Amino acid sequence: MDCGTCDTVSPVQMVKPEVVDVALTISESAKNMLSDAFGDDRSHALLVGVLSGGCSGYMYDLQIVESTDQDCQEIAIDGFRVLVPTASSHLLDGIEIDYVEKLMGGGFKINNPNAESACGCGESFS
Amino acid sequence: MPIVALSDASLTLWRGADVLSFIDGLSTNRVAELSKGQLIRTVFTDSNAKIIDCLTLFHMGDFVVAAGHLPVLDKLLNHTSRKILGQDVEITDISQRNDLFIEFDCENKANEIGTFSSQGEITRGNIASNYSLLVASKGNGPSSSDDFTEFNQWRITNKVPWNGYEITNSFHPFACGLEELVHQQKGCYIGQEILARMRSRGRQGKVLSQVETMSCKPANITTKGDTQSLAIIRS
Repeated sequence: MDCGTCDTVSPVQMVKPEVVDVALTISESAKNMLSDAFGDDRSHALLVGVLSGGCSGYMYDLQIVESTDQDCQEIAIDGFRVLVPTASSHLLDGIEIDYVEKLMGGGFKINNPNAESACGCGESFS
Repeated sequence: MPIVALSDASLTLWRGADVLSFIDGLSTNRVAELSKGQLIRTVFTDSNAKIIDCLTLFHMGDFVVAAGHLPVLDKLLNHTSRKILGQDVEITDISQRNDLFIEFDCENKANEIGTFSSQGEITRGNIASNYSLLVASKGNGPSSSDDFTEFNQWRITNKVPWNGYEITNSFHPFACGLEELVHQQKGCYIGQEILARMRSRGRQGKVLSQVETMSCKPANITTKGDTQSLAIIRS
């Protein structure tokens, strides 16, 4: 097998998504939950990313981080630092981060105007 | 054993720390635990659970090589590349540097299935008990036939689905005999909800069948033989 690794073979030209300046909002209930999670320490940030996978192709990825290696846009909302990876910016522009209290399927929820469809559990979208 | 050359096969090299989890998240089989020297087949499906491509993955150590079907390579790359986002995944098309072959009617031992080995320029992947996928650098392959007649007759006898015949975008994996490539316990991927529902309800719609050529509706025949054929028909 000739894997082309001995000399330079150009990688396949990938679809490069457009980078947009992300605008997002956080609902009051989500702010309350984030206040509980962060406490008074606002040095950490909420990373809102997108991974491939899930029933609809993309999955949300929420993390509380001190820093990240990813190239991110930083957005300050009411004292919270929100990081959005540049590579996912086109999928996350205009989202609302909400918090839903339910026995089943409760937790942080992303309302995304870019999503054409979402799977039943709401964790993935396309 | 007879060997047939695959003129319509693609070969891509997938490199990066996130390759296995990336493929695992977008296809039907569990590939995340694949390790060096192993091979596995998996199917990329669309949101209707119809097949985009069926890939054979070779774990080479530092990277993964995927054999698929050349006519749908652009569709596969378009489907996957827009989902890479910030993940460490790089895909290179190495189809033009290699020739692919199928050795069929062979007897692979149980402990060889799901593994591959290299001898000189030829890498032999033991896909199933009765056929293997051979990959060789361009012009260095084994002597082979370009005529699919004997191979197709063998496929009909052994009910082996093939790219462009049964494995097409018209069908989901259950319809064309790829049930074993749809892992029952793995998490979500595109098309998974539909396949899981079909499996749990025991309703798989059309299935791959051996039929008498003369008594089957021609539109349902996917591989035509003189007396027997393969067809995808309601079970």
